[in-house]
Amino acid sequence: MARYLLTRLWQSLVTVVISSIVVFVGVRMLPGDPAVSLAGEEASPARLAAVRAELGLDQPIWVQYAKFVWTYLHGDFGRSLRTGTPVGEMLRTTLPVTLWLAAYALVIAVVLGLTLGVIAERFRGRWPEWGANGVAMVGLSVPSFWLGLLAILLLSVQHHVFPASGYVPMTQNPVDALYHLTLPAVILAIALAAVVMRQTRASMIATMQSDFIRTDRAKGLGRRRVLLKYGVRNSLIVVVTIVGLQLGGLISGAVVTESIFGLPGFGKLTLNSVFTRDYPVIEAVVLLITVGYVVINLAVDVLYSVLNPRIRVAGDA
Amino acid sequence: MTRIPLLGRRRRALPVAAPAVALALALTMSACSQTQTTSHKSSADVAGKEVTTIPIGDQKIRDGGTLTMGLSADPDALDPTTSSSLYTRYVMETMCQKLYDTDAQGAIVPMLATALPTLSDGGKVASFAIKQGVKFADGTPLDAAAVVTTLKRDLTKSDSARASELGSLQKIQASGKYQVTLTFKTPFAPLAASLADRAGMIMSPAALAKEGDHFADHPVCVGPFKFVNRVPATSITVEKDPNYYDAKDVHLDKIVYKIITDSSIRAANLKSGDVQIADSIAPSDVDDLKADKDLTVMQVGSYGYQGIQVNIANQHGVGTPPAQIDTPLAKSAEVRQALSMAIDRDQLVQSVFQGYYDPACSPISPTSAYATGASKACPPYDPAKAKKMLEDAGVKLPLKIRMQTTNTPSSLQLAQAIQAQVKQAGFDLQIDPVEYTTLLDNDDSGKFETIQLGWSGRVDPNGNTFNFLTTGAGNNYSGYSNKRVDQLLTAASSTTDTAKRAQLYGQAIAQVQKDNPIIYLYRQRNLTGVSKKLAGVSVYPDGVVRISGAAFLAQG
Repeated sequence: MARYLLTRLWQSLVTVVISSIVVFVGVRMLPGDPAVSLAGEEASPARLAAVRAELGLDQPIWVQYAKFVWTYLHGDFGRSLRTGTPVGEMLRTTLPVTLWLAAYALVIAVVLGLTLGVIAERFRGRWPEWGANGVAMVGLSVPSFWLGLLAILLLSVQHHVFPASGYVPMTQNPVDALYHLTLPAVILAIALAAVVMRQTRASMIATMQSDFIRTDRAKGLGRRRVLLKYGVRNSLIVVVTIVGLQLGGLISGAVVTESIFGLPGFGKLTLNSVFTRDYPVIEAVVLLITVGYVVINLAVDVLYSVLNPRIRVAGDA
Repeated sequence: MTRIPLLGRRRRALPVAAPAVALALALTMSACSQTQTTSHKSSADVAGKEVTTIPIGDQKIRDGGTLTMGLSADPDALDPTTSSSLYTRYVMETMCQKLYDTDAQGAIVPMLATALPTLSDGGKVASFAIKQGVKFADGTPLDAAAVVTTLKRDLTKSDSARASELGSLQKIQASGKYQVTLTFKTPFAPLAASLADRAGMIMSPAALAKEGDHFADHPVCVGPFKFVNRVPATSITVEKDPNYYDAKDVHLDKIVYKIITDSSIRAANLKSGDVQIADSIAPSDVDDLKADKDLTVMQVGSYGYQGIQVNIANQHGVGTPPAQIDTPLAKSAEVRQALSMAIDRDQLVQSVFQGYYDPACSPISPTSAYATGASKACPPYDPAKAKKMLEDAGVKLPLKIRMQTTNTPSSLQLAQAIQAQVKQAGFDLQIDPVEYTTLLDNDDSGKFETIQLGWSGRVDPNGNTFNFLTTGAGNNYSGYSNKRVDQLLTAASSTTDTAKRAQLYGQAIAQVQKDNPIIYLYRQRNLTGVSKKLAGVSVYPDGVVRISGAAFLAQG
């Protein structure tokens, strides 16, 4: 077991190192360097050269990479080229926003998707199913930026129900924080809710026709009880799998949602840093995501191996 | 050269009104009616008068409150020495006062200085006094030594964006406790204008000593407001500064600059009341905002311009010696002139910008003190003549040209309108949409045939001409080189007499219009949406929205 763990840890480390090189070289291959973006309309060759020298961009790429690794090993993520803010601080302030938004959206998506899915199954071939299907179709096919704009126009501009933008930290006032996050979270959740709804419906239909349900019904249990207690519970397995797969989509969806609602999140930071070629920020953001994925994968693999000894054997081989 | 992508992202179809109007016209005429209706509004009708100030006047105001401003772009470092973003100037307006300022007419007036600089030694020595009893936000007193520290930093810091704005400045001295003397190698006419911009923002020497290169983390200047915090890519907050020398005219407690890059979302935030003022409203949103009873839109013509840069001889990057490119457009001034004549600028601003922007044919705004008949002249719109000129030049028609443009919907819409217009004169214009930073890079390195870009504009005409049009200059992306233009613009930059300078600029522009290294198209207006609950706001032609004297009106 220890050997398996070591192997997996080693593989993860290699993955992180390789991706750091890919990111580092990748951002430098984008046309237009930070000096051009930074100098903006006032760019002149002298100024560009001065900015490049100041940022160390005139040095050979392997020197830049060595410096990059060295500072990271010291826990220093550098400073934003554009604003001069320490990158560590930027990550610390933006990450909680996105995590809260994603968590809130996840809850909404699961509750909404499950409810609609169950309704669709329960009223198959009648108007509640068509309604639920319609909602799912709209959620899947209408882009979230458009839905977001519509929601702002309707709920913020015409009826002042929700604020059009803004963010209140959860630690400051949880109620106000949720109030500000509701509209963006719903918009972010809709596409995921649609997927959950379709999956729930399909799996419910399959489950409700299976033998054990028929047995339950034959034993005299009420339809409602069977549906909620056995049908839904069985379908949850599918839902959990789907939600797990869609988590990445939730994070990338946050990029759009955060921009529309002016949320100071991770997604908006990512987008801005790419547009302004803010190398240190892009590197930190992408590496953080990579490490996140690697850690989750590692945890899952280890868990599998604990649950299923056959995987461990394969790893040892 | 531009560095301003078109504002406004909202997609809008080209007006389909023209055929409808023609039909309506035909119908009314056949009915022998005398009344003709047209939906084609002239520029003056739609845009109306400029509104530069919403004064407080006699209105009752209430002190206090937090003003939230929707900012269309994220400022760069809040450091007057290194910053090169227009939006940093917006934020600095409330917390970083300058030696001089611009007034509503574009004239230079003293701010932290007491009077305009006095010149001696044939204009090579400039001297000015500064206000006494003024304190920085950290309590440090403002004196001549502080001004010297700031100007030296501007001049010598390796990544300073100000050094080139200070001309041939050689010596910076405190000639008294509140008296500063600057010595130049050659006379420098735009000095006061430079000191009315970021070079004139004086930083606290104590803060500079403490923060050094990281001044932007905690900027400290003299101003009605002082820095509180900045949330990356989201907001910047400033609060009332008790140390400010004129605190009685400061009404608000706090100002939050909220960064909202999408123009239609900015407009929506204005309508919902989440922000009370927002800059760079898209022309397509203006009518809608004006119709809202709680909002008004301020508009001020800018000193900048938008145009098409033609790559004449920029083969090895901007600033390198010109190397003539071998295409009809690059080689022949007549072909470029034909392109300029093939564009109907009036129609362009009508159809793409609803008439809220103004047609332009030169880098000098007609509202500038340096505008003359020569600088206001425009080539006639004449596609037939343009086509004839192309044929006379021996060009095989249609002449294919490629134009790069930013990939925003409104830029593309503009490009398509130009494409349709120049087709009549025999040009086959192909549009290459490019992401903004890449576009700037292509501009610098000369990887383009033509580029549609612009310039945000400076109060002094030197800032709108010299670097773009003189041989080998830092922003001469066309690789343009004309000895006469070089001489005229150099002479203009060291002439201090306004009338003489204006005449020199007029002559230079006449030559530039013959050569067309840049085909000027239109001038933006700074469109600022403002809540009617707010007063004491102004926008001057330098484009900066001034809100430090703003106040909320008392209710009822």
